[in-house]
Amino acid sequence: MKTGMLKISPGFEEIMPPEYRELVDNGPYGKDYGIGDLGSYKELLEEHPLCAGCGLALSLRLTLASLPMPEDTVIVGSTGCSALAFPQVALHNIHSLFGNQNAVASGLKRALKLRFPEKEKDVVVIAGDGATADIGLDMVMQSWLRREKITTIMLDNEAYANTGGQESGMSMQGAVLNMAPTGKKFPKLSLPEIAHTCGCAYVAAASPAKPKQLAKVVRRAILVAREIGPTYVQLYSPCPTNYKFNPKETVSLIKQREKDGLYQSKEYISQEAQAFLESIEVKK
Amino acid sequence: MYLSVRVDTEKCIGCKICITSCPEPNVFIFLPEQKLVEVNESRCKACGLCTTTCPKDALSIS
Repeated sequence: MKTGMLKISPGFEEIMPPEYRELVDNGPYGKDYGIGDLGSYKELLEEHPLCAGCGLALSLRLTLASLPMPEDTVIVGSTGCSALAFPQVALHNIHSLFGNQNAVASGLKRALKLRFPEKEKDVVVIAGDGATADIGLDMVMQSWLRREKITTIMLDNEAYANTGGQESGMSMQGAVLNMAPTGKKFPKLSLPEIAHTCGCAYVAAASPAKPKQLAKVVRRAILVAREIGPTYVQLYSPCPTNYKFNPKETVSLIKQREKDGLYQSKEYISQEAQAFLESIEVKK
Repeated sequence: MYLSVRVDTEKCIGCKICITSCPEPNVFIFLPEQKLVEVNESRCKACGLCTTTCPKDALSIS
């Protein structure tokens, strides 16, 4: 994206919405802002319709804040709770059919490579657990097997949250939800291990309870995807509406789960990615 | 009834933990000179996540 195209034509400043004016004056485009600068600039996300205390919204907000080059990033989304927030994101984004997000992103990445051969364009897939692990697992795995240079970020809320609370492949065994009253019968799918086996150069599982770690893994995943190959990040973001807990307990629930050993952060780095990360992280 | 988070400016030390634990964008504004946070009340959904993470109990929902 050319940052100049954001500028408001003279004479139209007054009729533009205040959020847009704020974004032009104090937006993060072209500046190397990180998660530590939150609160001092206008964020890419604007008032979203997700529930109060939503873990997914928190993960999405922190992910958007830790993008290394927001102006050259294209986000591919899919149906789900996260798709409700994408109209409020001030980045190029594409909404795909349910489960098709990685197939769309593969084509997009190849087209961008042909159109802008001298420029780096990051294609980041941000989708929920239903789109990544259940309905779109075929497309997601095939994109990893083809070694497409895209980043796949899964916002794992462990349910189909915006259709009333059905169990998903990522729900814990025994989880009782509105539309799964007898509890889930089989265990949670371990997608980081699948991604690692499918040949992802960088695989990580993190949560918004540790924002700095989340920012680090998202940044690393995008940088590795530019040079080496597919990357996968799984962000555990609990849903207060469907799991029926108090919205203010989202972060403490993640910490409790971590203590009980039901959730753990992971990181698998291939040798090539390790060498690449060491070469760029020393320069910082 | 309209609810929002309020900051106790005497207790706030400007550690910015609330900023990274809030699911809503642009609610907290950091004031670097005073080392304080300010709240944009019209954007707050009063979920209370920041009150549970604040180490100094400087935030309350009212």
